[in-house]
Amino acid sequence: MRKDLRLELRSGESTLALLALSMLVLVVLVFALGAARMRSVDAAAGALWVAMVFAGMLGANRALLAERDNGAIRGLLLSPLDPSTLYAAKLCAALIFMAVAEVGAVILMVLFFNLDFDASMARLAPILVLGAIGFSALATLLSAITGRTRGGDMLLPILAVPIFVPALIAGVKASAAALAGAPFESMGDWLKIMIAFDVLFVTAGYLLFEHVVGGE
Amino acid sequence: MGAHFGYLFAAYSIIFVAIFLYVMFIWRRQAALDAELRTLEARMAALTERPAAGAPPRPDA
Amino acid sequence: MNNPTIRNWLGFSTLALMLASLFMVFDYVPPDAEMGIAQLIFYYHVPLAWVAFASFGLVAIAGIFYLWLGDQLWDDLGYAAAETGMVFCTLMIIAGSIWAKPIWGTWWTWDSRLTMTFILWLMYGGYLMLRASADDTPQVARFGAVIGIVAAMDVPIVIVSVRLWRTIHPAVLVTKQGTHGLEDPRMVWTLLVSLTAFTLLWAWFLMLRFTQLRTRSRMSKLAGRIALATVAASDPK
Repeated sequence: MRKDLRLELRSGESTLALLALSMLVLVVLVFALGAARMRSVDAAAGALWVAMVFAGMLGANRALLAERDNGAIRGLLLSPLDPSTLYAAKLCAALIFMAVAEVGAVILMVLFFNLDFDASMARLAPILVLGAIGFSALATLLSAITGRTRGGDMLLPILAVPIFVPALIAGVKASAAALAGAPFESMGDWLKIMIAFDVLFVTAGYLLFEHVVGGE
Repeated sequence: MGAHFGYLFAAYSIIFVAIFLYVMFIWRRQAALDAELRTLEARMAALTERPAAGAPPRPDA
Repeated sequence: MNNPTIRNWLGFSTLALMLASLFMVFDYVPPDAEMGIAQLIFYYHVPLAWVAFASFGLVAIAGIFYLWLGDQLWDDLGYAAAETGMVFCTLMIIAGSIWAKPIWGTWWTWDSRLTMTFILWLMYGGYLMLRASADDTPQVARFGAVIGIVAAMDVPIVIVSVRLWRTIHPAVLVTKQGTHGLEDPRMVWTLLVSLTAFTLLWAWFLMLRFTQLRTRSRMSKLAGRIALATVAASDPK
């Protein structure tokens, strides 16, 4: 599994692009929302999640593209590797990418939306971790599918976004609450939704991945 | 009350039209399938008329 | 499943019940006193909802069986269910929207049920786009099964989260069915009849499309065999 992780991480040139993309998405949102709307934490939380989701999807697409170009998939399939372990490796790699994208996005969000680097960041962190896990779990499974069909990279958002909606709703709401200074108890429902989503999709990915990489 | 009849009529009409269209869609697909079937039958006939020179057809996986 | 007798009976009883429901809606049941005549759309909208969601469940169940047993039959069933479900889901949204306009004054609103339906519609769309953009290989069928299962598992979470989302916002609108129940027994009967009618319609569509897809699967297998045999026969040895 270590080897697969390293193989994934080698497509590191996309990390910089990912960071750049998060920033640019935020920039677009700044101009799109207009100065007046920037004051609210709701806008900030929303912009943050938009940037994350976009970056996450592009990250997933690029990772798969890099794999295809390297013929890495074929190599991995030939190895006597359990597909579930492969899924776990890919998931970890995707998580690392998302984490990087998130950190960048948070920093920019604080700067662009005139927030503070204070205790709310600590409250925000676990929410973003939950979101990253959920999104990575979903995207890793789906991108293995879309990478192998025509129109693949356009298909990923079409499939991923509707499925991701509950985590998105919960994540944005919880993030906005965290930024506004609310305690964790108040966002309990949202957190439960995110945890349920994460558990569900990591499990699903783990169990179903073998059907997705099965040879052709 | 009756003023809203237009909406009611529109909704029900759209539903029935859509049902009709879907049935038509299935009908057209069926015609295409039947045509394909006839082609296949013709080729089967051609095959069974002359003896196969090579290996027997492999069973597909 | 290929039995034409069953198919015809299904077709005829569907027709009969659909006509019956039409009669009941327009001539039998009294329209809701408050919401007016457009409220009658409810009697088709609710069955459409039931069938749209049920079909989605069927896609997932067929997907599970396909991954487990590997028989192409299950994939054909899943695909038929997805198509049929898409048709009904689209109609449900259209009917709901037309209902909303006179009653709430707007074509669309992010009420929890509408939002949920829209997401369901997107999921259906994604599944169908996936199947359409790829060839009909067992690999793609597996992809479809996975998507169907994953999306269906997601549906309960979506329902919970969307409902929670909507209760936070000021409740602009009353829920679709109105805060009052179905007081008049005629309303209950009409709803039951149209529910049955649409369930039969669903079953009929499924049967038609499913047998069609089965035939097509069998035919492509046959075509493959014939092609091989043709090559073998024409091979000069």
